[in-house]
Amino acid sequence: MTEEHLLKGWEEFEAGAILYSFDGSSHHINNSIQHSVADWRAEKPVFNEEHCIHCQFCWVYCPDTSIISKDKQFDHIDYVHCKGCGICVDVCPTNPKSLVMFTEQTTNDEAIRNWPAKDTKKDA
Amino acid sequence: MSDIKQIKNLKDFSTSVERFQGGHRLCPGCSHSIIVREMLNATDDNICVSTATGCLEVCTAIYPYTSWDLSWIHIGFENAAAAISGTEAMYKALQKKGRPHSDKPTKFVAFGGDGGTYDIGFQSLSGAVERGHDFIYVCLDNEGYMNTGGQRSSSTPIGGATTTSPAGKVSYGEKRLKKDMVQIMAAHGCEFVAQVAPSKWKDLVKKTQRAYQASGPVYINAVSPCPTEWKFAPEKSMEICDLAVDSCVFPLYQIEDGHKVTVTYKPKVKKTVEEYCAAQGRFKHLFRPEFSHVIEDWQKRVDATWEYLLKREEAGI
Amino acid sequence: MANTKANQTRVVWDGNMAAAQALRQAQVDVVAAYPITPSTPIVQNYSQFVADGNANDGEFVMVESEHSAMSACVGASAGGGRVATATSSQGYALMVEVLYQASGMRLPIIMNVVNRALASPLNIHGDHSDMYLGRDAGWINLCAYSPQEVYDLNFIAFKTGEDLNVRLPVAINQDGFLTSHTAEVVEHFSDEDAFGFIGSYVGKNPMLDGENPVTYGAQTEGEWHFEHKMRQNHALVNSLDTIRANFKKYAEFSGREYHPVETYLTDDAEEIIVCMGSVFGTTQITVDQLRASGRKVGLVGIRVWRPFPKEDLAAAIKNAKSIAALDRSCPMGTTGALYNEVAAVLVENGMSKNLLNYIYGLGGRDTTTEHLSGIFSDLKACSDAGKRTKPVVQTINLRGKMLSFY
Repeated sequence: MTEEHLLKGWEEFEAGAILYSFDGSSHHINNSIQHSVADWRAEKPVFNEEHCIHCQFCWVYCPDTSIISKDKQFDHIDYVHCKGCGICVDVCPTNPKSLVMFTEQTTNDEAIRNWPAKDTKKDA
Repeated sequence: MSDIKQIKNLKDFSTSVERFQGGHRLCPGCSHSIIVREMLNATDDNICVSTATGCLEVCTAIYPYTSWDLSWIHIGFENAAAAISGTEAMYKALQKKGRPHSDKPTKFVAFGGDGGTYDIGFQSLSGAVERGHDFIYVCLDNEGYMNTGGQRSSSTPIGGATTTSPAGKVSYGEKRLKKDMVQIMAAHGCEFVAQVAPSKWKDLVKKTQRAYQASGPVYINAVSPCPTEWKFAPEKSMEICDLAVDSCVFPLYQIEDGHKVTVTYKPKVKKTVEEYCAAQGRFKHLFRPEFSHVIEDWQKRVDATWEYLLKREEAGI
Repeated sequence: MANTKANQTRVVWDGNMAAAQALRQAQVDVVAAYPITPSTPIVQNYSQFVADGNANDGEFVMVESEHSAMSACVGASAGGGRVATATSSQGYALMVEVLYQASGMRLPIIMNVVNRALASPLNIHGDHSDMYLGRDAGWINLCAYSPQEVYDLNFIAFKTGEDLNVRLPVAINQDGFLTSHTAEVVEHFSDEDAFGFIGSYVGKNPMLDGENPVTYGAQTEGEWHFEHKMRQNHALVNSLDTIRANFKKYAEFSGREYHPVETYLTDDAEEIIVCMGSVFGTTQITVDQLRASGRKVGLVGIRVWRPFPKEDLAAAIKNAKSIAALDRSCPMGTTGALYNEVAAVLVENGMSKNLLNYIYGLGGRDTTTEHLSGIFSDLKACSDAGKRTKPVVQTINLRGKMLSFY
């Protein structure tokens, strides 16, 4: 369902069902970046800075533009648009991984406390 | 001619200003948006995009939202190439007349699924390419009509189970060979034609930048593993992509000026078609003894095609 | 004509040349087209303008089908500039999907439609089957009855469609061969004056403005589709005001005045024929002949087919006793579309009149003054009897047993 404030009458919106990306320098209210898909998620990726090598694999392979990098460094996960597909975890090359899936209910602090140990078999 | 964006490594690439936003409704793990992001982020120029009806279209412009931070148009299923050819013609006309809408160079890209490319949009694509419009046509090839529940297309590989070529007691699924669009588009005389995979981002970006520099039509076929209809877990998309490439089912290569073949990625250890099939539910039935010949035959064809490409490359003609 | 503002030159052009010249003078930015009989000469003439360097640096895109022609027109128009094309019949049919897209996106594409029959069976000659096929497609539809009108209505089309209060595509219809291939005297403006009347066009929401990107063709499901379509219809219905205003401006500019509904000797007419297309001229002659013998007959021509000018039609037929609506398309299972419009106008205005429907001219079949005179005789019989004495739907110049319906 569309958010209430966007449900305008027939005479109120731009003719031709045109949508704008920007409103000046910020995203328009009709940009999908204003729309949450967080409720698609059953599990979420959690980031652990300790192991990250800032390779940016998670950034390039994220289908939902939800790995936010700044100055060539991993910055944060956009939990409003992340659907929890798990690709970022799958492509993470560190051992242990710097991104791990946890249930939605787990807090990120809990997740980091319960971070998996280094997989010794993998390195062998 | 615009400058080529300098992308030496992934860290460089990660500084790109995104023009494809989240909040779209593509399935979790969909490869389409990975391909789109990599392609759009390969240039800083203006881009106008047309998109054929399909997953990418229906999931990224559901009123009142758009995921596109660039000008975008969808008209129909069969006309993404014709639509962008019109926009490109308008760009050229306004340039000539000295009243362009923007001072920045503009690139033109059409995205279509394999349904909108191999099948219903084939004529429109062929026409636009023949006319020499300066645009890139990108096929997001997930080998079927996935937007409508996974029906077969002429891109579905032999043996693939789809909802209109299902496997059954007596059928191993799709009966026809996948159409070879890369060769067909090369035969149009395009300056540049290539096959890419999103998991090989560097190869994809390099080819896309080559495409942006071309002065005429370019065709790019991008393998786009579909978790929903290929039946694998969403987090495996890039692994399946690597399997497609490493098994040479989707060889990464390019053809310049209609003939010059370059194989841009040669797997150190070639994976088998069997390994590729085993990773996807759509080929599950091929592991029944009575259908094992399908994988065997497929392996022979993959090997032959791979040899052919290597020989073409070696011959340099 | 006195007091015309623009100097004009008299030439002999057929309808296709008149259309092509109007497009050239409009300095169209992109023409995307695919040739089809009988509109082919428009595309050929325009090709020659391009070849001679007379197309004002516009792009001419010779596509591989009409579907792609209209798709390229939509892409070009959304890009932000002036766009035009031409087609007929089967080509029009192939375009239909995209006609709805053009109007739904509110893109003022101008299309010259040289009306022709639709197969099967195949026929290359004029009737209104194609125009009727697209009548719900959301385009403004203007009808030209002569090459001069084709020329004139093209400028009115650009000026109306591109008006920011309208922003709708416009089709200018003309009869295949009878108008498109019949050379007549046409008065035309200088290139400068012609362009000056419509001015240059800067598209609204141009895709090519990279600083202000726009999304065209979003999917509007249940919560939105109804609102968008009704907004579009609101614009189309109200475009009649702009059309009317532009007819007036054009009259001042050219000395030739158009009306949403053209009338000929209707004020005291007891029997009236309502029609569209080149048959208007033949009916005019018939009216003159019958008037000479003292008959009170008149003629109404629909100039603006969509939006339908209900009020104008009501005013034009209000004094008549009996009316015949002529449809040049097989109604297939009901009465003709023009008949239905006239019937609706009668009901809406509480007017009780005898109304007959004639199907004529399919596939270019001749319709002569004798046939039209016969219609007036039928109408007179109804007037005299004070009721409809003929079947609702009859045919003109059809071989075989007399065929009628209802």
